Amino acid sequence: VTEPVVWRRLSPLMLLVHPVHEVLRQVPLLIGAVVLGSATGNAMWSIAALVLMIVFGVARWFTTTYRIDAEQIQRREGVLQRSVLSVPRNRIRSVSTDARLLHRLLGLTVVKVSTGQEAKGDAGFALDAVRADEVPALRALLLAESRPDSLEAGDEVGPAERELARWQPSWLRYSPLSFTGLATIAAAIGVIYQTGAVAALEDSPLAQQGRDAAERLGVVATVVVAVLAVLILGVLLSVVRSLLTFGNLVLSRRDEVLHLQHGLLRVREHTFDMRRLRGGTIRQPLLVRAFGGARLDAVMTGVDGSGEASLLLPPCPAPTAEAVLTDLIGQQDAVTGELRHHGPAATRRRWTRALTFPALLAAGLGVTAVVAAVPSWAWVLCGLVAAACAFLAADRSRALGHRVGDGWLVARSGSLDRRRDCLAAEGIIGWTARQTLFQRRAGVATLIAATPAGVKGYRVLDVPAELAWSVAAAASPWVANSDWTREPAHS
Amino acid sequence: MVTLVDPANPPSRKAPLVWAIGAAIPWAVLAVAQVVWFVLDARLSWLHAVAAGVTVVGVVTFVVVAPVWRYRVHRWEIGAQAVYTRSGWLVQERRIAPISRVQTVDTHRGPLAQLFGLADVTVTTASSAGAVRIVALDSEVADRIAAQLTDIAAIGDRDAT
Repeated sequence: VTEPVVWRRLSPLMLLVHPVHEVLRQVPLLIGAVVLGSATGNAMWSIAALVLMIVFGVARWFTTTYRIDAEQIQRREGVLQRSVLSVPRNRIRSVSTDARLLHRLLGLTVVKVSTGQEAKGDAGFALDAVRADEVPALRALLLAESRPDSLEAGDEVGPAERELARWQPSWLRYSPLSFTGLATIAAAIGVIYQTGAVAALEDSPLAQQGRDAAERLGVVATVVVAVLAVLILGVLLSVVRSLLTFGNLVLSRRDEVLHLQHGLLRVREHTFDMRRLRGGTIRQPLLVRAFGGARLDAVMTGVDGSGEASLLLPPCPAPTAEAVLTDLIGQQDAVTGELRHHGPAATRRRWTRALTFPALLAAGLGVTAVVAAVPSWAWVLCGLVAAACAFLAADRSRALGHRVGDGWLVARSGSLDRRRDCLAAEGIIGWTARQTLFQRRAGVATLIAATPAGVKGYRVLDVPAELAWSVAAAASPWVANSDWTREPAHS
Repeated sequence: MVTLVDPANPPSRKAPLVWAIGAAIPWAVLAVAQVVWFVLDARLSWLHAVAAGVTVVGVVTFVVVAPVWRYRVHRWEIGAQAVYTRSGWLVQERRIAPISRVQTVDTHRGPLAQLFGLADVTVTTASSAGAVRIVALDSEVADRIAAQLTDIAAIGDRDAT
């Protein structure tokens, strides 16, 4: 790499973006300035604040520089406080790009570099922003250090890019089943209340009409209409959000590089180094599973396993997710193979835990019934809760299972958020067998495989206690050969 | 069917005492606060009785039962290839990590531990779910372990992820 080691500036177009972002970021301050301006009768306050923000935004561009030398990538920044952030190039694990609407209009892209070692709350290393046409070269340069053999030869000569999955309009059918729409509505209502718009509306003719309509329809009809309206709105919001976020998603693979691109308005691209892949998680939330869907997360060193960073496929048909994971890890059995169930003790624990709450509820109602009349709908409600809990217990017990062998550990659990974790055994660098008092009495243990990848700890829930170390030993030779391992003669 | 025998070494003999003192301090503060409250305002005697009962149960559980129980559970051992510990009381854990993947070895002495000449050793690997903690060791044992682990692991010659 013969890159001249000079400090480079980010795209000059950021002179337009920074002031806008700065103003948007300081909206509370701006509101304060406007209030102060109107209170003192002197509009100069507001103008001064605005000018200060714009100057600050412009100064940010002039003070931010970066350079890439043979060992590291560095960024200098800060208007009042200077800081230098350096990342050793051989520690770079992934490079992702992100272009919001304003960036896209100007042909800019934010480049984020991840080492996977960032502490929580750490912003990480981002170049905000460079010209979009510089990105492929920059990406190749940044990842070259961790991939010595590939990409050196140039993009054209390498093996052809192979498409693993492409977004289909039919995938939208899984998106109404998420709670994001309802959450958006709740957030919107919260904001509206906070701004006092509701109080202003209360006496308006519109609200009066609404009240009249409610009186004509009756309470039950009004509630039904309101619930239906919220549901429909929620579904619409979820679908639109899903379409904007994941529309035109393409997951492709070229040799050892996995490439994910998605987003209609805000375009995001992730590049993953396949040699850091330690497996994958197929997640099937209850409602998505009911319609035969699944989503896929990567288990990868240097990529946070819980957030959006590890997403490979949004809710899509389960066979698609399974086929892609099989292609990535090359182990059909780990993805779809039969699991070993955890037996009656684990099942019993699922039922006890699920039914404790309805039992307490029923007991409470029973006690209340002795001293006062309990309305019959309370009993019906209690019965419904019990039925829902029983369903959860049955579904959760059915889910529990594990599989170990051929160098892979597979664990499945959960009902509302069912997950099947497939983890490469060579990536496991620690085992924990945990038993609460109740687990000891039931003769089961929770086995936790520690790994530097993904969510760091992968749990095998309520394995029969006598099996726990067999699972660990089957996956990790260093457990099987440890000084403490005893193998009874009969097995 | 594979089983693992427990690790061999117990923590320091002073460990239960230090754990008991550590737990006794907050409970003592709470007890004093209750006495002050009783002196200032002796009405609601049933509430005082309930509070006193909770304190007594808490003291017995955390100052008497837990340290003894923990001392009986806690074990550690360093083998040729791995570190193995057993810890906890109500929730018990057995944890094993290969020495070849160790990234750092730290010894830590809290104020109370320092007073009694105890130390904890924390062995971290690249996984935040895999750190092994050996607690309440005699100071010189802790130093010896740290030196030994650092030697075997030959930390720094590899990425260990």
